[in-house]
Parts: sequence; structure tokens; C-alpha cells
Amino acid sequence: MIGRTVRRVGLALLTSAATWTAAWAEGTLKIGRDQDSVYMDPILVSQNADVWVLNNINALLVRNTRDATGVEPDLAQSWTISEDGKTYTFTLRENLLFSDGSPLKASDVKFSIERLRDGEGSVFGSMFTVIDAIEIPDDRTVVFQLKERNEPFLTVLALFAAAILPEAAVTADYDSFSAMPIGAGAFRLVEWRRGDRIVLERNPHYWEPGLPKLDRVEWHYIPNDNTRILQLQAGELDAMIFVPFNRIAELDAAEGIEVHLDPSSRMDHILINHARPPLDDVRVRRALAKGIDVDAIIQAVTFGYGTPANSYIPAGGMFYNPDNPRWTHDPEGAKALLSEAGASDLSLKFLVQAGDANYEQVAVLVQDQLGRLGIKVAIEKQETGQAWDTIVEGDYDLNTNYWTNDVIDPDQKTGFVLYGDDPDVLSYYTRYNNPKVNELILQARIEPDQDKRRALYYEIQRIAQEDVNWLGLYYSPFRNASRSYVKNFFQNPMGRFMLETTSIEK
Amino acid sequence: MTEATAADRPAAAHVELPPMLLAGTALLGLWIVVAIGADWLAPYGPLEQDLSRTLQGPSAAHWLGTDNYGRDVLSRILHGARLDLQIAVLGVLFPFLIGNLIGLLAGYLGGWTDIVAMRLLEVTMAFPFLVLVIAIIAVLGPGLGSLYVALALVGWVSYARLTRAQVLVLKSADFVSAARVMGLGAWRVMWRHLLPNAVTPAVVFAMTDAVLVVLLGSALSYLGLGAQPPAAEWGVMIAEGQQFLASAWWICLFPGLAIVSLAMGFSLLADGLAERLGTRP
Repeated sequence: MIGRTVRRVGLALLTSAATWTAAWAEGTLKIGRDQDSVYMDPILVSQNADVWVLNNINALLVRNTRDATGVEPDLAQSWTISEDGKTYTFTLRENLLFSDGSPLKASDVKFSIERLRDGEGSVFGSMFTVIDAIEIPDDRTVVFQLKERNEPFLTVLALFAAAILPEAAVTADYDSFSAMPIGAGAFRLVEWRRGDRIVLERNPHYWEPGLPKLDRVEWHYIPNDNTRILQLQAGELDAMIFVPFNRIAELDAAEGIEVHLDPSSRMDHILINHARPPLDDVRVRRALAKGIDVDAIIQAVTFGYGTPANSYIPAGGMFYNPDNPRWTHDPEGAKALLSEAGASDLSLKFLVQAGDANYEQVAVLVQDQLGRLGIKVAIEKQETGQAWDTIVEGDYDLNTNYWTNDVIDPDQKTGFVLYGDDPDVLSYYTRYNNPKVNELILQARIEPDQDKRRALYYEIQRIAQEDVNWLGLYYSPFRNASRSYVKNFFQNPMGRFMLETTSIEK
Repeated sequence: MTEATAADRPAAAHVELPPMLLAGTALLGLWIVVAIGADWLAPYGPLEQDLSRTLQGPSAAHWLGTDNYGRDVLSRILHGARLDLQIAVLGVLFPFLIGNLIGLLAGYLGGWTDIVAMRLLEVTMAFPFLVLVIAIIAVLGPGLGSLYVALALVGWVSYARLTRAQVLVLKSADFVSAARVMGLGAWRVMWRHLLPNAVTPAVVFAMTDAVLVVLLGSALSYLGLGAQPPAAEWGVMIAEGQQFLASAWWICLFPGLAIVSLAMGFSLLADGLAERLGTRP
């Protein structure tokens, strides 16, 4: 709380300086990216390419801090939480405006969050069903009544999907809104050419004084890694995202280019289908965990830029246990476990999403390593969408995948990855179901004491690791590059590009 | 009538073999030898990983360098010849057989057989070749088996058209009429008298087709629809090496050259055969 007050005073000082800081704003930032956006309606979005643009045009009640260890005020300037943890009261800043100049009121907040909770096709709607009612006593006050205590709730409100949208524009003509959405973020969308580019311009009505510093941001869709790098080198781009691991060292050494390895919440793992015997036998899964050489995989695939995963929670994440035990490479132990389980002549179907070179490398390495234990691994490449259907249907034994956190609190990921009683998700479609873990997850969700919550999550991490819910591989940083004149090009661990503070200083 | 058909063929002994035919045969022969002897010729196993020697340039130990798994590129190319030749042969053989049969029947029998066969052909040709092949593979699941099935289902049309056109011309030729007048059955006339004379363009086309099939096989493997990793197949190798193009060019370049040389072998053979068997005035 103390930190928060100090911050607000600082902002007040900045407000008075707003008149002259606006004069700083200059320049266009051209960013090359590997994926194109599909949706712009925040409740329909789930892929990172969409999220990373949306974060720039939308504002939330509260947002994740730069280092993603907590939340800080965004549109809400302050809030109170009732003793029983069931009532959250937010006070909005004064004179808030959307990027089209229309006023942002408590009714817009109520509309946006209710739409997120109940809207058709809302991807993250289930995270908000804990909200019983939203009351708006006046234009600047929003009161959330929860059905029950929910510890992660404040961090959940910092989810990109909880963006505050203008009720009038969305309800008047949804089609034109979804094609050219309006928000209250640092930038406003001015052009969206599918398969080519998205152009943003600074939002003159943005609440944070003096920001953004840039006039214009262009996201160019350039799928080929080599092309993207060449364009950055030629100066046609000011920045690019997703530098392949094997080009990091070379690009960083180049004159006038900087590579940014920002800590991320990304974790790569191999899903195991527990529903397919003998993978339901924990001894067989442990044999796989001992059979793969994660350090060798990290060296070959990430060129040493990854760090081995010892927990399903990313390193540096909330309640991450750095001392959680890790499976180490032990082929002899693996063989012993396999013969103990009577699983000789094991053959596994390793599903790989086509087009991702790293996934394929992991699969080829694992195939070789498990082959040395006498396990036959057949790799099957499928197009990404088709592969996802296959995973959901459960027609696989192993599959490479990754996860980046959307919410700071571990509850979201834990629920998705380990809570076996949710028939829609089935523990990330691994069909892992440990009643003890399910119980701990529900307990942690309502435990108000931070130390006790931490202890619960440490316990969950230990059991999941022991059960080998999946094969954890590595944590890896975000890999972006920019020309040296670009300052503060930064991605926080949740993947948010904090472009409002980025500037060009030639 | 044996005389009649023989008279229609060139007298082999008196014609010199075109140099292109020789060059093409030599190039293909070389790859066939390599494919057969890959186990003895290759210094390493094609799937043998050595993570302590990844991405090494060409050297005495690894003539064509190593890839990102530390596998020997030369050994993979030599073993890859098996797979790529197999793709070339099987990818052409099935369409060749099916297409010639349909073309022969349609051309000789005419009537309903012809109408049904030609409509079928038109429907198949209405779709872009690659789109149809990819769609069939998507339904059957990726892999070389699916690739052969897809090629058989789509590739027959070219052969059917060529052979049907030849049969239509030849069926009114004297030697065919003579055979019919002698009371031979339709099957025997088609099989023994028409086909040997009508099949020449299809044979020449098959060689050209083999080039396309090799390239298609590599392209589909590149897309993940053909040979599956870690198979040593040239298209797969290029796909795997693509991300290292800027730093380790040898992973892509040498399999690329292998594809070019095999395709050239088939091309030369096709040209040579066309010259050798070409319809005489």
C-alpha cells in the first residue's frame, strides 16, 4: 500500500508537466512480427499475437506491474476490499476518455466485465463467473460482489480480456467495432490490413500524462524469420520480435542492433496423455522423465538460452518454488522403472505442430533419447489447428507445447494444467487427475493468508512433479531485437510490450 | 501381325543413342548405386545424433558438415537417395498404370466408358493439382503412404489423356483393323497391339513427371505432409536446415544440389527418350 501511495503522488507531479512532455512525442516505430492478428475483440482473443497488440489500445481497471510481481492502478485510481474478501470497490480516475473522445464511465466497466463473463464465445469467461453482481452507485464507482472469496481476483482483473470498452460503440454497431475497435489505451487503432500490418497512433486522450512518447506504431506481419532479421538489419524495421535462438549471438554483436532477452513466463513442456496405458502408470511416466536429457535439449534447441524447468510455475512467478526437485537424466534408472512396470516394447505417438522448428527439434531429440531405452517414438506432424483438435480428442501419447501466463496469480495456470475435474480442459488435455491436487487447488483459491497459500502451492508443485503430470522442459526469455536508437523496447513477463514508454531517440 | 507391330517400331540396332539419354542414364544410375550402397558408402548412420558436434562446417571428418543434431549431412544425403528414388518411382508408377489403363479403355471402347472416364478426368482436373494432393493427404494423415495414394488418385489424368489421344489415332490404323478382322478379342487387340504403340508419349512423360514428383515429394516433406522427421529425406533436410540458412548453409545447400541432380537425371532421360522414341514422320 505504501508503494502505491508514493506512486500516485509521483503521477500528480507528472500531470502538471503534461503540457510540455507532449512535445516529446515523436516518431514512428515499425515492429516486425511472426504472426498476424485474428481477432480484436478482447473477449474472443487467445493467441499472443492478438494480445500483444490489444494491450496497446486497451486499458484495464488494474494492470500488471512492469516486472509482473503485482498489480498497479490503471483506469481505477484506488480500490478497497471488504473484510470477507467478497466485495471489491473501485474508484475510477477523473475525466477518463476513450480514444474517440467519448467519456469512460462506471457503466462502461460494468458492461465490459459482464460481457466478458457472459458473452458468447468469451474465451476466459469462466474466470469471471465468480462475480455475482456489479453495482455502479455513481459514474466513478464500481462495486464487484463475489459469490465467494477469491484470492486471485484482483490479478484476474488485470487480464487483457478485462479491457474496458465503450458500451455505446459496441452495442450500436458491433461489426464495425470489432473491425476497428476503440479502447482507452495508450494508442488507438487507425488501420488494420489483414495479413499485412496494423497501424496505431497515439491516443491524445490517454490518461497517463506525457505518454505515449511515440506518435505511431506499425506492426508488420513478416512470418519468415530470416526476412524479418534482414529487414531489421537493413533499417526497414526499427524492431522485430522472435529472434530465433541460433541468431541471438550474431545479431547482438551487429553494429546498431540490440537483442533484448526479457524474462518471460513462458515454459515449454511435453504433454503426456495419461488416458493411454501404460502412460497411466506413474512408473512409466517417471521413466520418461528420467529418460529424456533436458540439459542436452536446452543446449541443442535454445543454444543455452533456456533454463531447465523444475516446476509447472515459471521461474520468478508468484509462489514459484526454486527448490522444487527436478528430474535428472538417468537412463539406467529409467530402464529399471520400465521393467518394473512391465512396459517393454513401448511405442508412443509423438504429435508435433507443423511449422514450429523448435517443437520438431525437441521431438527428434526425445525420439533419439527414448529410443536408447527401447521406446519406439513415431513423430507425426500436423497442422497447428488440426493438432489442437487431436490433443483435445486425446489421440496422442506425447505432444510439445508451451504456456505463457496471462495472470500473475498461479491459480489460472494451475486450474488449467492440473485440475482434473474440469471436463472442458482435462488438465490441459493430459487427462491427469489427482483428487489430492484438485482439493489443494480449491483450497488455495480461497486461502487469505499469503504464507499458507504459498505452502499450498509448494505442495501442489511437489506432487505434480512426483506424478509427472507432464514432462517439463525449460523456461526461456522473450527474444526481441531493435535498432539502438529505440529506447525502452521492453516486454514484461506476461508478454505485454510497454510501448507507451518506448521512444525513438536518433 | 507380329510383323505389323514390329514395323511400327524403330529398328534399335540402327539408331545411335542420343547423348542426353546417356547422360541422364548415367546420372540416375549413379544415384541408384548410391541408394543401394548407402549402408557401405555413408561414413555415419543417417539418424546418428552427436550433440557435441552440432552445426559444424564441412571438414575432413564430416565432408558436408553436420546439422543441428550433430548428424552427418553426407550420410543423410546418401541414405536420402533411397527415399527420394522410391518417391520418384512409386509416385509415377501408380498414376502411370491407372492412367494408361483408363486411357486405353476410354479410347478403344468409346461410348459410355469414354464419357464416364472423361467426366471423371475433367472433375479431377478442375481442381488445382497441388490443392487436391494436399487435401487428400490431409484426410489420410501425413506420411509417404498417403502421398502415393494422393498421387495415384490425381496424377493418372495426364497419362489417361495422352494414351487416349494416341489410341484414338491408332485404332483406325491398318494393323489394328487387321487384328480385328482376324477375330481377335478387344482385350488382346488393346493389350498386344494398341498399347505397345500408344504408350510411348506416356513413357516419355513419366520421366518428366518423375522430376515433378521428386520436387513435390520434397516440397510436401518440407511442409510436413510427406516423409516425417527424422527420416533422411532431402526435402525434410532442407526444411530442417532452413532456420540455419544464415549461419550453417551446408545443411540446406547439399540436399538442394542432390534434388537438382536427380531431377536433371530424369529430365535428360526424358529428353533423350523423346528423341529416341519420338514419333517419326
